[in-house]
Amino acid sequence: MINFDEEVAKFGPSLEVEQAEDVINNNDLSDITDIIKTMMKDLKDK
Amino acid sequence: MICPACGGVVTTKRNRCERCGEDLTIYKKMFLLSNKYYNEGLEKAKVRDLSGAILVLKKSLEYNKRNINARNLLGLVYYEMGETVSALSEWVISKHFKPTENDADDYVNAVQSNPTKLETLNQTIKKYNAALVSAKQGNEDLAIIQLKKVTSLNPHFVKAWQLLALLYMKTGENEKAVKCLIKASKIDVSNTTTLRYLRELGHYSISGREENKSSKETARPITPEPALFQHSSYKEEKPNVWLFINLIIGVAFGILGAVFLVVPTVQSTLRSDLKQKEIEYNEDINKYIQTNDSLKKEKTELQEQITALQAKVTEYEGIEYDDTIYDGLMNTAKLYIKELEKGNAGDVDYAAVADVLGAVKEDKLEKQPAKELYASLKESVSLKASDILYEQGHSSYSSRKYDKALEQLLKAYEYNTDNVNAAYFLGRTYHQQNDLENAKKYYSIVTENFPDSNRASEASDRLAAIE
Repeated sequence: MINFDEEVAKFGPSLEVEQAEDVINNNDLSDITDIIKTMMKDLKDK
Repeated sequence: MICPACGGVVTTKRNRCERCGEDLTIYKKMFLLSNKYYNEGLEKAKVRDLSGAILVLKKSLEYNKRNINARNLLGLVYYEMGETVSALSEWVISKHFKPTENDADDYVNAVQSNPTKLETLNQTIKKYNAALVSAKQGNEDLAIIQLKKVTSLNPHFVKAWQLLALLYMKTGENEKAVKCLIKASKIDVSNTTTLRYLRELGHYSISGREENKSSKETARPITPEPALFQHSSYKEEKPNVWLFINLIIGVAFGILGAVFLVVPTVQSTLRSDLKQKEIEYNEDINKYIQTNDSLKKEKTELQEQITALQAKVTEYEGIEYDDTIYDGLMNTAKLYIKELEKGNAGDVDYAAVADVLGAVKEDKLEKQPAKELYASLKESVSLKASDILYEQGHSSYSSRKYDKALEQLLKAYEYNTDNVNAAYFLGRTYHQQNDLENAKKYYSIVTENFPDSNRASEASDRLAAIE
């Protein structure tokens, strides 16, 4: 049985055009490659 | 490939970067995984499993953020689901990693080249957010109205269809909910939320039931070709007829508003301006009238003055002004001056001057200088002329030339009525001529006017003798 309130709570607001700039600037562009690069560097430093 | 450590270009076969010496084995594995997830995402996207595609594409980007294909495809999937801003974000980031020869350029330009559509999409997102707030606040009816508008403006907005279906389910309108969910499932076939709601409503399989319907509805999703590009998200939406109708209605209202609101205001402004001008003109007219009246009055006064002056001129003309009066006086003066120029008083012919002066009528002289000149001349000339003429007259009387004596003595008396001798001898001359009347007259003058003179007694005796 679907609970309306729970289901509605799952819906989040959509991004508006005015928020695009903030979204792009705050986007975390780290990936596993960066993590590995950091780990490799730490290993080398040690 | 690009070396993640130094950014240098490395051939695919090499396991170590030639520039920095970095071991690329692990990186290569990461890139392979990323590409594998990308492929998976592409397969899902082709069959319209957009939710699934998003998950695997995100995973692909977690392994390699520089996977341009994965990022571009993720943007496309977002755009197809109505998440415009998320799509633009992914494409912008893609352009950041690869500024040139990037399909993201085309995608971004396609969206931004139509500002009206972009604004419409933005408005639908805002309306969706507002509807979500209304739904959370318990205003289902308002939320439904807003979501209907959203879905009409952006039929690809999956979340809007899902929320609308949920609201219909809440209000008991299950058939409408099913319709909404079917529409959502056509966009994103394997969306778990959509499937869950359909299951709740008793629609366990979408594709099975929908395939029984008209073939048009199955034409879109399942084809071997790149469905996303064929069912192009970048196709222009069908022109919304209601937009034009609303525009026409708006224009009509604008015209009516102008006719009923603006035009009367403008008219009343014009009327008040005209009224003001009329008042100013009336004031000017009054001023001119006043000026005209004063000028007329002045003219009347001037006319009266002219009339008076003309009357005076006429009066002067009526006087029969005789210029010869002053000529006679001037001639007398000139003659007297000429006589005086002889240098010797004894040579002055006073009688001649007095004769000329005698022709001047003293009462006709009006100007004071003329009167003074006349008096002066008379004083200077007449007395002397009278004495001379008396001597001449007396001499003529003695010579018994009574006519000549009479003429001379008369002039002598005329020039000087105080000449008692001239008066006496006039009496004597008339007496000798037996003109007793005139003789009595002159004897009487002597006795009456000169009673103290030595001629008075003689005149008295003569007068008695006559009487």
